[in-house]
Amino acid sequence: MADQTGWRSAVESELRALGRELEVPPASDLTAAVRQRLEGQGLQGQRLKGQAVRRHQGPDRWTGLFRRRRGWRPVLVVVAAFLVVLIATPQGRAAIAHVFRFAGVELRQGPEPSRSPAGGGSPHGGSSQPGGSSLPGERPMSLEQARRQAAFPILVPTVLGRPGRVLVSDGGRVVSLVYDRTPHGPVRVDEFAGRPDQIYFEKILHLASITEVRVNGTRGLWIKGPHEVVYITREGMTTTAPARLTTGNTLIWSTGQVTLRLEGNVGKAAALSIASSAR
Amino acid sequence: MLVARYTLRAHRAAYLLGAGEESDDVVQEAFVKAFQHLSRFRTGEPFGPWLLRIVTNETRNLVRSRRRRAGLALRLGTAEPAGTAADAPADEVLAAERRTRLVAAVNTLPARERQVLVCRYFLELSEAETAQVLACPLGSVKSRTSRALNRLRGLLVPAPESRVPSG
Repeated sequence: MADQTGWRSAVESELRALGRELEVPPASDLTAAVRQRLEGQGLQGQRLKGQAVRRHQGPDRWTGLFRRRRGWRPVLVVVAAFLVVLIATPQGRAAIAHVFRFAGVELRQGPEPSRSPAGGGSPHGGSSQPGGSSLPGERPMSLEQARRQAAFPILVPTVLGRPGRVLVSDGGRVVSLVYDRTPHGPVRVDEFAGRPDQIYFEKILHLASITEVRVNGTRGLWIKGPHEVVYITREGMTTTAPARLTTGNTLIWSTGQVTLRLEGNVGKAAALSIASSAR
Repeated sequence: MLVARYTLRAHRAAYLLGAGEESDDVVQEAFVKAFQHLSRFRTGEPFGPWLLRIVTNETRNLVRSRRRRAGLALRLGTAEPAGTAADAPADEVLAAERRTRLVAAVNTLPARERQVLVCRYFLELSEAETAQVLACPLGSVKSRTSRALNRLRGLLVPAPESRVPSG
């Protein structure tokens, strides 16, 4: 029977790996289409089947129409409330106009970040906690323990050597390597599986601060200057932890299997050499 | 905003469950329905599985109307530089060959078992989430998973090490 369970877990992990290699054509951006349809329905009430039936039962066509609108209104209110909850933050994300994604990171055009107390002088946001507001379920552990917990192979930049601390968050979904002392000051590297259908971090920044770079022959993004970053859970929700302000500059790159995000007061050339040493 | 956040996941689910080229339409329909029935959505309940359940329903309706037994066949992506190169290590070639056979085997499974595998392993949902998405009891998820995995075992035997190397 031990053979049976061994075989089963082997096939299960093979299937999971296979899932990441299956061909899925790119999705279209449906935001505008969905909005248009909902707005159109809000006015005309097409496709509201339940309401349409009631309309035939009503004595008067106009009362029917009135009822129909009243039926739709609470739904619209709920939709609006839902969106407001998601969008509204003190940072005023209503101003966000553009979005694009790169290897599990969503980048949004937003207003200039204001220096918040959370993003103060320390290179990692908070005064004592690297990474400012910590990620959900963040736990320090040894690199070896982290390798067993993470759902992806952890890469270590050999130039920086062994990390001072290793933090595993959200049940092994994200692993962070923290270097308190490097020639460039403190550096943080966040790693996560480069899954095609998930977002791990959302960044609100000036899209003009991004330049495309190459890391070991693959595409990467170099983001100059601080910006707001927020963690997105498996369910696609932002965590209760507030967005934090990054320090220094950020480099994001992907090996296909793993996405890495390096943050610190590191220049572009140094960041690229750290990145290309990740094994 | 909500649409942007969930489109990728919903689209991937629709495609892998068999909606094929019509995945965008399925997802659009699912979003519209989700918003229409948002009042039925309980606060605190995860939005993802709830939306995926609607996506699954829409995909089933589509597949049924197309009269295809199990939707479209899954295919491996071609963006794999090392796998088939002439100088690739032998174990990589073997692994690529095994993946190809695994995809073919998954494609031959009955629709209901295949859907469970898609949810559990390709969309990486938990058993409970899969039950919610496929609108079936947790027990059925467990039994269908076991049945599907056993069938794959049957389809994939003999294992690579006992095979006579070809070529």
